[in-house]
Amino acid sequence: MNVYWRQWARRWRLSEMRLLFLALWISALAVAAVGFFTDRVESAMERQASQVLGGDLVVSSSRPLPDDYRQLAAKLGANRAEVISFRSMLSFDESTQLVQVKAVSTSYPLIGELQGTKNLNAASISLKGQLPASGQVWAEPRLFHALQVPMDATVVLGKSQFALTTAVTKDPSQGVNFFQIAPQVIIPLADLPATGLLSPASRAEFSLLFTGSEQVIRELKANLEAKLTPTERIRSLQEGAQNVEQALQRAGRFLGLAALLSVVLAGAAIVLTAASLVRHETRSVAVLKAFGLARRRILVDYLGNLWLLALIAGVLGAMAGFFLQALLAHWLVQVVAIDLPGASWTSAWVSIVTALVMVTGFALPALLRLLDTSPMQILQGSLPAQKTLAKVLILSILPAIFLLLWIQARELRLTVWVFFGLIVAVLLFWWVTKLVLNGLARLSTRPAWQWLALMRQSRRSLLLVVVFAMGLFTLLLLTALRTDLINRWQASVPTDAPNYFLINIQANEQAPVEQFFQQNQLQATLYPMIRGRLVEINQQPVTSEDYPKAEAKRMLEREFNLSSFANFPESNTLLEGKWFDTQTQGFSIEKGIGETLGFKLGDSLSFDIAGQRFTEKITSVREVRWDSMQPNFFVIAAPGALLDKPYTFITSLHVPSTKPELIPQLIHQFPSITAIDTSAILGQVRSLVEQATLAVQGVFAFTLVTGLLVLWSALQAQRPERQRELAVLKSLGASSQGLRQRIWLEFLLLGGLAGVLAGSLTMLAANLLGYYMFDLTVSLNPWLIILGALVGAVLVASAAWLNLRSLLRVAPMVLLKT
Amino acid sequence: MSEIETVIAVSHLQKQVLAADANNNQATLSILSDINLSISCGTSVAITGASGSGKSTLLGLLAGLDLPSAGNIALFGQALTTLSEDQRAALRLGKVGFVFQSFHLLEHLTALENVLLPLELGNNSGDLTQRALTALEQVGLAARAQQLVTKLSGGEQQRVALARAFVTQPKLLFADEPTGNLDRHTGQEVAALLFRLQHDYQTTLVLVTHDESLAAQCDVWYRLADGRLQQQEPSA
Repeated sequence: MNVYWRQWARRWRLSEMRLLFLALWISALAVAAVGFFTDRVESAMERQASQVLGGDLVVSSSRPLPDDYRQLAAKLGANRAEVISFRSMLSFDESTQLVQVKAVSTSYPLIGELQGTKNLNAASISLKGQLPASGQVWAEPRLFHALQVPMDATVVLGKSQFALTTAVTKDPSQGVNFFQIAPQVIIPLADLPATGLLSPASRAEFSLLFTGSEQVIRELKANLEAKLTPTERIRSLQEGAQNVEQALQRAGRFLGLAALLSVVLAGAAIVLTAASLVRHETRSVAVLKAFGLARRRILVDYLGNLWLLALIAGVLGAMAGFFLQALLAHWLVQVVAIDLPGASWTSAWVSIVTALVMVTGFALPALLRLLDTSPMQILQGSLPAQKTLAKVLILSILPAIFLLLWIQARELRLTVWVFFGLIVAVLLFWWVTKLVLNGLARLSTRPAWQWLALMRQSRRSLLLVVVFAMGLFTLLLLTALRTDLINRWQASVPTDAPNYFLINIQANEQAPVEQFFQQNQLQATLYPMIRGRLVEINQQPVTSEDYPKAEAKRMLEREFNLSSFANFPESNTLLEGKWFDTQTQGFSIEKGIGETLGFKLGDSLSFDIAGQRFTEKITSVREVRWDSMQPNFFVIAAPGALLDKPYTFITSLHVPSTKPELIPQLIHQFPSITAIDTSAILGQVRSLVEQATLAVQGVFAFTLVTGLLVLWSALQAQRPERQRELAVLKSLGASSQGLRQRIWLEFLLLGGLAGVLAGSLTMLAANLLGYYMFDLTVSLNPWLIILGALVGAVLVASAAWLNLRSLLRVAPMVLLKT
Repeated sequence: MSEIETVIAVSHLQKQVLAADANNNQATLSILSDINLSISCGTSVAITGASGSGKSTLLGLLAGLDLPSAGNIALFGQALTTLSEDQRAALRLGKVGFVFQSFHLLEHLTALENVLLPLELGNNSGDLTQRALTALEQVGLAARAQQLVTKLSGGEQQRVALARAFVTQPKLLFADEPTGNLDRHTGQEVAALLFRLQHDYQTTLVLVTHDESLAAQCDVWYRLADGRLQQQEPSA
């Protein structure tokens, strides 16, 4: 066996080496498990979002898109589909119906699949790989109801006749557009010119949908963005489905933060362990040097040793992380029936690199100190002068921490925040602990407080308290955030959240529909919905030409859904002004729309509603939670204000899964009503929330283990010193009983102090982080300090007892000899 | 002994260190001044002196573990002052052995592994384990080869240290108070073993001790006092 391997195997007997390995392994495990898991959840989310979008990247315009966009995509190797959609009248016999025509190229859909049926009474099946053939049209089921048209009937669109051959129940890129009143029909793009429906003056949306590798999409996006004209807009995944994303982003951030803190904690364990390893190895190195070993060889030997250790820990950690994640995902898939795509190998590399960076950044400074060991010290028994702590910190540990944080967060702002947050925390702990320990030492000179004398070892205690406080702080911070986060998520998707939207309830159906709800014990409020176009702001006419932003243009080109009711909507928050009372008139607007179109409280808005002008001042501004599954409105008028205009009702309600027959009954009774089933979306949101919750709990467990590891490393680092101290005390006549009490008392005090510090800082930091990163509300929880003190005292004292009790059983003579 | 008659040659050697007084003022302290010494191959040389007289410092300088403030030291014909730390280490490798007062065995290793260490460091080939076992046999510890050194008594540990020192059959052995940590009887045993091995391997021995009876057994005996070296007649 090679000498290096033999040395390595022998050094493995040192407890410090094993502790180092454990710290590296746990860091790699935490990083890998979190990485693999969030990676899979993110891909699941992206896949879902791109389905809603219809592609990884979509360019749309109100004008035909130039050919060079298609050429560019072909050159880069992106897949492409084309969609032109517009409104038109479709006729069957003597009846006509407004429809949303969607002309699609043969490559449509790029992601997901259409679902539908040839038989209106049969269940939907997958229509993968199928599209309407030339001369065919496919339509949403509600068109069949609206026109009373049978399957395979001939319908007319413009100058062309089409055979209506399939009812489409799911179009992956249709998204969740609850307010699309006109039923959608799909025709082949090649058949569009013959209809003569599309003239240069037509209002249509021209879209190019693209999919491809991340690299291709990124390149395509950058190229297209440079060419975009003001009427064209580009959408990619980042701007996709927002509501599900919000919950997951928070989960992802929390996981990232937890993994980040585990890594930093493990880093602390490594620094402590490396320091005691060096203390242990200094003599060995001096002996080896005396025997004639060169510095370079010592460096190669130790560095090789540590890198090999990190590599093995990294690989084993990545493997363990993968299995743990697979186990979690497997269990999840069974529980919530969600489709998780496979994990990429990036996380494995990240975890191995993390282990290598940790050992290099945290253990190398200590190792370099070994090189400076003079062989003379072996004859003189003196330790080499230690390099100043500040130098080591600045040169090696701080950059390593920053690098690790960045590898983990991959977001500079977060990295900088956490980095400086940690530095501030350490300095704060250091300073306060020093003050407290000095105070205690002074107090111990008074007769009644003499028992505090054991706190006089202030340098040693200072280090312990700071290390313990950092560990406890991390744990408490994550506990606080985790609880808040999970409560918040669960509240956002209660089990009785509405799972159906009902639209197109006619004004004269209000009373019978409400009666139907009452009979079937359904809770639902009907909101009147009035469609109007915004035409003036403060008596100045506005058109889409006045706004450079595509979003604003779209808002002005479309009709708004207005409503009018008395009770302030539950899922909204009043930001400015006053909600309507019985006397007032006016508009209550959503905050975002005001920002986009440039109006605010006190401005007046005029809407064109069915040819009539309606003007009011803005009297309040609301924030709307769009993911609430409730009908939400950009603009609400005072109760009763718009009811002389044509309106329909809209509502959302929860239909228990035990009563699936209710909605068909309702539709049968009121055929004009359109029911939109949102339970699938809701189910997805809920399962993602469950998943995120579970992941958060799992990662928290890693942090807990890492925290304990730091605690142990700190104790281990001071063990030789404690050993000598106990030997001296024993030889002076201290009883085992007395020493035991001494250890417990000292560590209860140290742990309690660390806990109080950690709890106080947690209270502050949890609020800051919660507010800025997770949108949680601020609350001061003094229990954190009490909890911190208790947990700190018990945890630290128990760990210390476990670590030191073997020293108590040994005879003092042996202690002195070793 | 033909090519290098003189193993160590020292001329006008001086060593000064900076030392802080109670008020933390730095002052130059002279430890060794004008040392001249020549050690021939195969001889045993004792250096005695009171505690703090600079014995260990001199030993370290002779072995090239440290550099003098002034003067020259030649080890195996090489001027140490012209060599870097690594070059000095390379000069020692395989040719110089050490025995220390507090043994300095590596605690996480067994007796055998401690003895193997210098063999593994050098470019030695063949059955190294067998050579290490033989060395342990010579000090009477073959039976305890697989034990961690922390389980051995002080005398046994020093015998392991002797086996470790002699296993490479060094030309030169430095011993720093080899019996200083042992009781009288054990000390005598270890000393006897040391001289026997030195004789068997024809090793040049530089022995630092405050034990005059031990010094008396060497071929040459120097006394170190006030930083100067005086030769002592062995009979004295």
